[in-house]
Amino acid sequence: MSERNYTTVNPCIMCQPIGSVMAFKGIEDSMVLLHGSQGCSTYMRLHLAHHFREPVDIGSSSLSEKGAVYGGSENLKKGLKNIILRYNPKVIGVSTTCLAETIGDDISRIISEFREEEGVGDERIIIPVPTPSYEDSHNSGYIKAVEAIVKTFTLDDSKKAIFNNKLNVVLSENISPEDTRELKHLFDSIVGQNSYILLPDISETFDAPMTGDLHKIPPGGTTHADIADMKNSAATIGLGITNDNKAVNYLKQTFDIPSQNLPLPIGLEYTDRVLAALSNISGAEIPDEFQKERGRLIDAMVDSHKYVYGTKVAIYGDPNNVLGMLSLVLENGMHPILVVASSKSPRFAEQAMERVKQVKPDCDVTILEDVDFDTFNDAVKKAKPQMLIGNSNGKYIAKEMNIPLIRFGFPIHDRVGAQRLLTLGYKGAMRMLDRITNTILEVEDTELAAKWSEPESYVPLGESSFHSAEA
Amino acid sequence: MPDITSVINTLDERRPYIELKQANKSGELACDNTSIAGSMSQRACVYSGARVALNPVTDAIHLVHGPIGCASYTWDIRGSLSSDKETFRTSFSTDMKELDVVFGGEKKLSKSIDELVELYNPPVIFVYSTCIVGIIGDDLEAICKEATERVGIPVLPVQSEGFKGTKSDGYKAACHALMQLIGTKEPEIISEYRINILGDYNVAGDVWLVKPLFEKMGIQVITSMTGDATADSISKAHGAQLNLVQCSGSMTYLAKWMKKEFGIPFTKVSYFGIEDLAIALRSTAEFFGSEEMMNIAEEIIEQETNRIMPEIQEIRSRLEGKTAAIYMGGAAKALTLIKGFRELGMEVVIIGTQTGKRDDYKQISYQVKDGTVIVDDANPLELADLLVNQKADLMVAGVKERFLAYKLGVSFCDFNHDRTIEFEGYDGFLNFARELDTSVNSPVWRYVGSKIEDSYSGSSGAEQTTDSTAKAGTIKKIEGESNMQEISPITFQQEPVA
Repeated sequence: MSERNYTTVNPCIMCQPIGSVMAFKGIEDSMVLLHGSQGCSTYMRLHLAHHFREPVDIGSSSLSEKGAVYGGSENLKKGLKNIILRYNPKVIGVSTTCLAETIGDDISRIISEFREEEGVGDERIIIPVPTPSYEDSHNSGYIKAVEAIVKTFTLDDSKKAIFNNKLNVVLSENISPEDTRELKHLFDSIVGQNSYILLPDISETFDAPMTGDLHKIPPGGTTHADIADMKNSAATIGLGITNDNKAVNYLKQTFDIPSQNLPLPIGLEYTDRVLAALSNISGAEIPDEFQKERGRLIDAMVDSHKYVYGTKVAIYGDPNNVLGMLSLVLENGMHPILVVASSKSPRFAEQAMERVKQVKPDCDVTILEDVDFDTFNDAVKKAKPQMLIGNSNGKYIAKEMNIPLIRFGFPIHDRVGAQRLLTLGYKGAMRMLDRITNTILEVEDTELAAKWSEPESYVPLGESSFHSAEA
Repeated sequence: MPDITSVINTLDERRPYIELKQANKSGELACDNTSIAGSMSQRACVYSGARVALNPVTDAIHLVHGPIGCASYTWDIRGSLSSDKETFRTSFSTDMKELDVVFGGEKKLSKSIDELVELYNPPVIFVYSTCIVGIIGDDLEAICKEATERVGIPVLPVQSEGFKGTKSDGYKAACHALMQLIGTKEPEIISEYRINILGDYNVAGDVWLVKPLFEKMGIQVITSMTGDATADSISKAHGAQLNLVQCSGSMTYLAKWMKKEFGIPFTKVSYFGIEDLAIALRSTAEFFGSEEMMNIAEEIIEQETNRIMPEIQEIRSRLEGKTAAIYMGGAAKALTLIKGFRELGMEVVIIGTQTGKRDDYKQISYQVKDGTVIVDDANPLELADLLVNQKADLMVAGVKERFLAYKLGVSFCDFNHDRTIEFEGYDGFLNFARELDTSVNSPVWRYVGSKIEDSYSGSSGAEQTTDSTAKAGTIKKIEGESNMQEISPITFQQEPVA
């Protein structure tokens, strides 16, 4: 609209608790309970169900006025008890909301009391994460929850277990279930099937096969044994380079596990970088399969290069996903005129700029972060991209500007298949490039069809012509 | 009939909220309470109630005073349509940060209001309070009052702190805001017969299929609340002689107030289904006591019914005998759906609501046959068990329930605020029938629960082999239990996928 100082118009971010939910949903046999009023859990269930098209159960302590005044301890304990009675999860994440944080409930104390009063043993793992909405975003909620999960599971260091020679792989941003499956395939093939621990893993939990059964808690997710074993690993890879991956730092500081943060493997070069690192760490050759896949990607890039070259695109969404997409777009000769991250992160702008300089230094690009859609829309109007790449919320401006939107990221509420979107690896890059190219061709078809007529300057042979037969 | 509490397994505390209708037993269903912690209620909060009831006011700025989440999840959440401005589809938030929580958000809110007035020049601003505002004690009332004087448009507080009650309290908060507008402008009177349509949110354009029917009868519709309403039309609502209330849960409170304040009586109606539509038109004509109007109403009813009947009959032949589960936010919609299903030859076997009151459940109980389960504030596990035990062929509910039904191989119809097809009026009912037909009669259900081996076994008619007992933690669709989803072996030759 124009300069605003006090109002956020059409938010790009969601709140911290939903990020924590996405992390907990990637843990085997787990449930999340939001300590707050009933609406928070319901809204997030709706938001996630819309995107993943799966049933999403998130508990609530259903705080009422009484709880808000006298403390939410009673509600939280009852909530925990009922979740155990009904779902019997081994792990319960307790994420706080604004309400719980503001009334100042001491969650850890309430959980200890609950354990004692109800005789809940150590085999039931309860993980508190402070995630008020007035701090940061869904992205930070994700990182915080992953850290809390790792800390809780590796807490018992009374005796250091045996070195497992495994590789920890810790995500710092949500990716699709399909991307998670592709990632696992990459690691399976290069590092070996039981030689790495991926956290979190939503490949099954948010994209469960239809069997006719309804699971109270969908099977899948990183196993508890694996998470507990992370402290015995040989090395850690953090996926995502714009944010501080707190779990990676924790593992390094507490257990001396060497670590390396790598970008999400989106596009050719970032995938190369991740694969090379894996090969380096594991000492294994990169299997022929990936050399071939890489070759096919380059083939695809060559096939597409004339169609996509110079196309001005705006990319928006969560920082690491956007950074990866920026890289892919640059490699293909497109012009990323506007690059926007939903939330603030310490290294997004710097990394994005560096990538631009590496591939197309003369490219004029606007990089924004931590803005709302209103600001983004203004920037789009100014930059006039020919295409948008990002989540569903760009549909309004895409419609207004009459430009195509390639849906990618979270949330995607107005199309099917968000859970199956593949972006990672060479395969994901091919998929993405094909979508981009075909979208451009589609637009060109329509535009060309309109143009396919004789130029106006052309005068047909007619009666006035000197050599007209009838003259 | 076994008592339902022994049929489905749930928390002891939840048992009074689930009832099996039986001829000679009339227990009273527990309802209208706050949800039980950890019970996984499908309800939202006070703010959500206020937001869904008010949000369709098209030219208003809906400003959420609170941290970002509340605004984020409710951005353009309703499928309500507008015939003019689209301001309501934009999400405005004060986006409170930690500092605002510590030092109070009053100043930011005031400045945000000033800024929005300057940028958007709206006719009204609704300011919603969220949980945190109630805790840190921002004086919403005072800020809005000051702002109203300062900026010259109504800036109306909506007291909707999430934890202070239930969704129904949110409806009341919305009604309170509307009360501040009603009666502030004089209506242009163009007919001697005037009504307001209350409790219709113009989802997918519902109002547009209903309003013309009344206009044909010579009635002026002053405003529809809140679907496709403007600040201007709401402020003239007192010019009506009758309020027709559809979503009674959200708007009866306002109708009662208008009766007290302006002497305008109200009738509860529904524009869904052939029978209820006819009742709505006839009772309105009856109210005005005009014979001419009644004749037109009868004409509309006859013509329109005849127009849609052939297709309805055809669809009915495919739906006849199927069973339906209803889980709605409000009781009014649930009640009218019972009739709608009856008109399509379907039988309701489960019916529940999030916000029904004692009287609503009495009416529901009266309307459904013995053996139907009635449930208040259900949760996913209860709903799943009920769908299986009550052998429902189709569920009508909202997005959260959709995927639950799908996983159990139960077809589904979305009757919530994000649907994109009109269900009201004559064409709306046709749409509804088509929607049911589409889902119930799709070939996809026969594949749910099937295995590759089934395709090659060639054992014709053999039931699919599944474990005879449900695995721990799963709700098993019991094979062959429903007359539509019998899991038959797939043979590629036999059943080409359409």
